Amino acid sequence: MEQFIYYLKVSFVSIKRAPLPYALTIFILSVGLGIFFANATFYYQLNSDPLPHKSSKLFFPMMLLAPYECTDCKPPAVLSYSNIEKLSQSDIPSAKTAMYSADGYLRKNAEQTPMPVNIRITQRDFFSMFDVPLLHGSVWPDNSARLEIILSKATAEKLFGRTDAVGEKLLLDDRHLTVTAVLDDWQMLPRLYDANNRNHLSPADDIYLPLETGYDMNYLSNTQSQTFDDTDYRKLSTQGRTGALNQLQYWVQLDTPTAQQAYKQFMANLAQDEKVAGRHPSEPNNQLVAMRNIVNYFGGESSDIKAFALVTLLFLLVCLFNASHLSLNRYLGNQYEFSLRRALGASRGQLQLQMLADVLLMAVFTIAGALLTGYAGIKLMNHLLPRNSLFSSWDLPLLLSLLAVAFICSYLVTLYPSLRASFGTLNQQLKE
Amino acid sequence: MITLTNLSKIFRTELIETHALRDINLQVNEGEFAALTGPSGSGKSTLLNILGTLENFDAGDYLLDGISVKGLSDAALSKLRNEKIGFIFQSFNLIKDFSIYDNIELPLRYRGLKASERKQRIEHALELVGLHARRDYLPGQLSGGQQQRVAIARAIAGQPRILLADEPTGNLDSLMARQVMELLEQINQQGCTILMVTHDPDQARRAGRHIQIIDGQLSDAVLYDPLAAQSA
Repeated sequence: MEQFIYYLKVSFVSIKRAPLPYALTIFILSVGLGIFFANATFYYQLNSDPLPHKSSKLFFPMMLLAPYECTDCKPPAVLSYSNIEKLSQSDIPSAKTAMYSADGYLRKNAEQTPMPVNIRITQRDFFSMFDVPLLHGSVWPDNSARLEIILSKATAEKLFGRTDAVGEKLLLDDRHLTVTAVLDDWQMLPRLYDANNRNHLSPADDIYLPLETGYDMNYLSNTQSQTFDDTDYRKLSTQGRTGALNQLQYWVQLDTPTAQQAYKQFMANLAQDEKVAGRHPSEPNNQLVAMRNIVNYFGGESSDIKAFALVTLLFLLVCLFNASHLSLNRYLGNQYEFSLRRALGASRGQLQLQMLADVLLMAVFTIAGALLTGYAGIKLMNHLLPRNSLFSSWDLPLLLSLLAVAFICSYLVTLYPSLRASFGTLNQQLKE
Repeated sequence: MITLTNLSKIFRTELIETHALRDINLQVNEGEFAALTGPSGSGKSTLLNILGTLENFDAGDYLLDGISVKGLSDAALSKLRNEKIGFIFQSFNLIKDFSIYDNIELPLRYRGLKASERKQRIEHALELVGLHARRDYLPGQLSGGQQQRVAIARAIAGQPRILLADEPTGNLDSLMARQVMELLEQINQQGCTILMVTHDPDQARRAGRHIQIIDGQLSDAVLYDPLAAQSA
């Protein structure tokens, strides 16, 4: 340890000898790494798996059950109520949920100013399938219509100033509902259960309403709905359950490859039955997309972030090259000292330990600079691309990875120059 | 102690080969003080560098304490340099932003000695060269003669068996040169073998043995006899 402290002291002396080139090296590395950090943060968060333990078991079924002739048609991303009813008949999935989202206004009583809320209209399995944590109360016992809602923690605090609001009455667009549960802090990032139309970038919903109640209360979808017959989409409560009004996303949990295979077969049989019944004339086209691939399937990948990733990686390489060049000049300036140390008995191994001390110091300065630059970069990107702002946080694995990258870059910037300096011809350098 | 057998060194460039040393055969015994002289470019510094393992040779063999240095690993050569050889360079080769104490400590650091032992050895070496009071000075605050004495202190602090001095008084005036020579003689009297490259005939005469190199070969003066020189 004492020897390593000595190596650190030697490093400091070496920095004091030529502080400007050293500061410039740190600055170049910090800028390159900082910008890379900022972009890597978004890239990592946008491509992260929010449910790593079960995302391979969650699937999004889609079927081409449209009542018209169509060749090379992709199945619609949303299904009709009657489609969902038929798909729900299978007991192969261990959990299944249909959903859509709508807008509404919520308040405690008629005297209060209503506040706009985003409503997820769904079924009871939604909460278990996506690991939604409950803080108070319990989820609906079944999928039947009921005048009950579940609040997010933030909504409960906003309305009542506390989280335990179970049993409280609320007015949702002037209809009375009872709070049955309050969620704990929860933000699935990315929100893959709603990947259609790039909604996976959005924040979590404010309140949750049973699907049947949503239909009864005539809540129209605020994202995507398609009508394949003469159903009036505005008359959801009366025509929505029977007409070809597609607006429901559907998720199933298939725990084993066998179950997945069996469900595919079930979907094929269903499509065939529908065709035989004359409800859709097109060739069957079923899709069972895994949650991990859903963003890709819908083409929702952030091309701007991808492009930034490439640009910042190239920029980092340029910065690395420049920093190495500066570092090489600095080390060659100190080559005489390397040779003297070797002449006096330092082995190359001992000089490499000296180099490690140099790397450590450079890494500390670079990491500090890079984190500051990265933070500023994230703030700037949040300003330029506010839609991605939910994905700008640093978690521990990301931070550790970024620190490792900074350390490796510091090592690379130091490695070649120090090797060049320690492999020189001793006697020649001592004479110069 | 040092045995060179048919040792040769060739410097090669794309166009020419220069035979810096040819078939050198030399035996240096423990406790000798030998002066290595010769015209500029004759190969004396090359020989000294090879003896100090700072440079490789192309043919022949070099035994130090009966062990061939040929084929030794970098780590083994470093250890050998650190423990058995002390260097004194013409231009002192002190690190300018390290104190006198820190400069002398350099070789001891790489030997892995404890702090207390390093301190004891450094203080002893500083006493010997008469610079104890200036231990915290930087080299630039000392005169040339004092800097060379620091270099000598650094060389002897490791208690080497051999001291290799490459024109140690080359950058000093006559008074300081005499002081340095007296110091080297004192060190030699304590049993340390010294090989010193010099251009100064007086200094060569003061050494117990005179080895002359001309065109990379040892000349007849290898058998230089100080007594015969005195009578002449």
